[in-house]
Amino acid sequence: MKRNTLTIVIGAVLVLIFALLLFVFQVRKSETAVVATFGKPTGQHYDQPGAYFKWPWPIQKVYKYDQRVQNFEDKFSQTLTADNNMLLTSVYVGWKISDASQFLQVFPGDSSVSLPNAQSKLEGMLRTAKSAVIGGHPLSDFVNADPQALKFDAIESEIEQSVQNELRTNNYGIELEFLGFKKIGLPESVTQTVFARMTSERQVLISLAENTGKSEAQKIQSAADADAAKTIANAQATATRLRAEGEAEAAKTLPIFEQNPDLAVFLLRIDAIRQSLNQRSTLFFDERIPPFDLFRNMPTNAPGQ
Amino acid sequence: MERNVQKNGLVNLVAATVIFVAALVVTTYAHTLAGQAGSIFMGLGVLVAFTGWFQMRLEENERLEKLEVEEFARAKGESALFEAKEAEVFPARRSRAQFEKYFVPGFAVLLFLLEAGGAWLLWRWLARTTAGIASDRAMASLSLFAIFALLLFLVGRFSVTIARLEGRRLLRPSASFLLAGAYVCAFTALGIAGAKTELPRADFWVARAGCVLLGLMAAEILVTLLLEIYRPRVRGRVARPLYDSRVVGLLAQPESLFTTAAQTLDYQFGFKVSETWFFQLLKKNLPALLLAQLAVLVLSTCVVFVDAGEQAVLEKFGRPVATLDAGAHFKLPWPVEKIYRYRTEQIQTFVVGYVPDAQSERANTILWSVAHAKEDNFLVANRAPVTVQNDNADTNNTLKAPPVSLISVSIPVQFQITNVTEWAYNNADATNLLQSLATREVVRFLAGVDLNNVMSSNRLAAAETLRDGIQASANGYKLGAKIIFVGLQDIHPPTTVAGDYEKVIGAEQTKLATILAARAYAIGTNAMAGAQAFTTTNLADATRLQLEVSRFAQAALFTNQIPAFEAAPSVYKQRVYFQTFVDATRNARKYVLLVTNTQDVMWFDLEDKIREDLLNLNVPNSQSP
Repeated sequence: MKRNTLTIVIGAVLVLIFALLLFVFQVRKSETAVVATFGKPTGQHYDQPGAYFKWPWPIQKVYKYDQRVQNFEDKFSQTLTADNNMLLTSVYVGWKISDASQFLQVFPGDSSVSLPNAQSKLEGMLRTAKSAVIGGHPLSDFVNADPQALKFDAIESEIEQSVQNELRTNNYGIELEFLGFKKIGLPESVTQTVFARMTSERQVLISLAENTGKSEAQKIQSAADADAAKTIANAQATATRLRAEGEAEAAKTLPIFEQNPDLAVFLLRIDAIRQSLNQRSTLFFDERIPPFDLFRNMPTNAPGQ
Repeated sequence: MERNVQKNGLVNLVAATVIFVAALVVTTYAHTLAGQAGSIFMGLGVLVAFTGWFQMRLEENERLEKLEVEEFARAKGESALFEAKEAEVFPARRSRAQFEKYFVPGFAVLLFLLEAGGAWLLWRWLARTTAGIASDRAMASLSLFAIFALLLFLVGRFSVTIARLEGRRLLRPSASFLLAGAYVCAFTALGIAGAKTELPRADFWVARAGCVLLGLMAAEILVTLLLEIYRPRVRGRVARPLYDSRVVGLLAQPESLFTTAAQTLDYQFGFKVSETWFFQLLKKNLPALLLAQLAVLVLSTCVVFVDAGEQAVLEKFGRPVATLDAGAHFKLPWPVEKIYRYRTEQIQTFVVGYVPDAQSERANTILWSVAHAKEDNFLVANRAPVTVQNDNADTNNTLKAPPVSLISVSIPVQFQITNVTEWAYNNADATNLLQSLATREVVRFLAGVDLNNVMSSNRLAAAETLRDGIQASANGYKLGAKIIFVGLQDIHPPTTVAGDYEKVIGAEQTKLATILAARAYAIGTNAMAGAQAFTTTNLADATRLQLEVSRFAQAALFTNQIPAFEAAPSVYKQRVYFQTFVDATRNARKYVLLVTNTQDVMWFDLEDKIREDLLNLNVPNSQSP
């Protein structure tokens, strides 16, 4: 009896859980739901959170969708700008389901199937709009050192508006919330030319620096040489002047020597002899030159004597 | 009767093979994930059924051989036959024994490898795959799997009953596989039905459950193989086949849980463990234990613990009713109330501009010219457009470099969730959106600034501008996040051209060095010129002074010499002459010629003699050895 009671309790709990799963469904705040009776949407929107009643499958089926903003990034694709430059761009897009019933009809199936389908459709529209808008702008509208000339935001708005119009015209049940460039780049071949140009710019700067240095150095050296020459010339002039002054001062003694010119000349000659014999000298004398004249008439070893 | 059991084994083999092939076809047709797990299970069932059937045939041959030998022995009336070797007399017995000794363990190892490999590969594949069941083929596959389940149930139930009633141990493995296969097919059908209705991931989860089942089977067979080594051998007791899975048996007949457990314990320990009081108590109160466990499980969902740094949003039937901070909280049981956790206090980080590379990040030195991560190149404005000739192109095919430059940046962005409700409910993937917004701000900023400007003086201001821009975008999209920090930790030219930027710095240094060398030369030249000028001037001054002093001294001397001269003019002169002559010619070489000796001819060699040491040099003989 005890075992039967336990079995009944367990069975009742299981049945209750099973019944809840069959007849009740929950909608979260982040979700919106559409109920279809035998495949046909009932038209009632369940976009407020709470628990709702439904008939069990296969009578009614509940399609739940995330009603928050979905975002994705499209492919990094190549486009030609108005001034024939190649540009690679990728944009991120935020979109949400605005009409779940319409969305179910346009993109049938569960959210795991319908959301990727919707994103795929949106990506196709996006690529078309992106190419058209980018093709109408030169590269300088995307990248420009002058902030006033940059039209980055305006281009994003143009693409967004284009896709939004397409969505509203065909009533997909979704709307675009935002769009922005995620990445801008250049194709590989163009990238290489940009690298080449950047390298050339650096070469110009390298040449400028090196040659400016040489030029400056040469100027400094020339100026130094000129200054040195001036300094030496001035010194030599000063030296000449000083020697001249010495000569002038020395000339004041000449009247003293004039008192006895004979003696003065004799002394000058004597002084000249002294100075001329300062170096290593070889002298030849005969007996007539004093003091060797003392040898005159001295006996010699003349032949025949 | 024996022949019927063999036929049952054959029927099991045929049924398993047919259903395996059919399940494989349906799985491929409908792309059902659960069907893949079911197909693997049935494929293993085919192998087990074949092995069981083959072993049954060997045992049947052995039995017939034994009857023949006995019959022959009775006819001869002697036992001479047994004098021969047993292997020659009982080849069927030997074949069966060899089969059980070598083939069955080998087959068990093969089963283990297939089950473990299948579980692992399928689990990994399920983690990666984005494939789902084909919506338009779901109903057909659901129906077919339901039919497979029914067929397998009928055949499997019958075989299981035969095996149990007649004690056919070799029929039991394939019968259990067929019956368990019926449940696997039924669950596969339920998974497909769930995917078709409100549980889009049901097919996936059933496939995952199939992986777990295969893993359990692999673990069981591994344990069985290990225990088989130590199992006590009781003489006369027939061993259980190694490929007879208890997990599969339990799945096929869950009501036999205790029977299976008891058999296992009895088998391993060699005595009746199942008759102990503990085992019997457990068996009687199992429903109550299960109910208590269920109650504990439900009650455990009424208490939540929010970790430090986290906040949780409490939803009641999907409606957010409260935000829970760190600590313990009570709530109504699942599924009435649920919580969703978010890391709100923790500072989270993502990077813009590069993908971190663990190997490169281990380097202690970070250089522009060496890639330290997988870097993206961003377009940046360039003030001086230049046209560059491509070396590989002819003159008519000049590639025009657009007036932009490229730059690499590494920008870590740190943020905190400040409003968990906005973070959770406004965007499906708020983290990804924040990364996109941050990247867009970086792209937008770099597109409007000059390369050299942003790399140098404007760097700090750039980080501030970016932080404000990202914060404004996050606020605009109601992300509920606060941007804590944006760092321009790395902003440099791409690696390809970074070396040229370094060369410019080198050239600037060379320029400075050249100028400094010139200045050093100038300093030296000017100093030497000054010194030379000073010397020249001083020498001149000294000369002047010498001249003046010596002339005045000579004048003074002369003044004093005049009286002496006047007193004895000739003597004074001679005296001065001879004094001077002696002094002046003291070191001179002197020759005196007496002219009276006219017969002699004297030769004077007035040339300087070559130094003696040079004449005495010993020139080596080049021919000497």
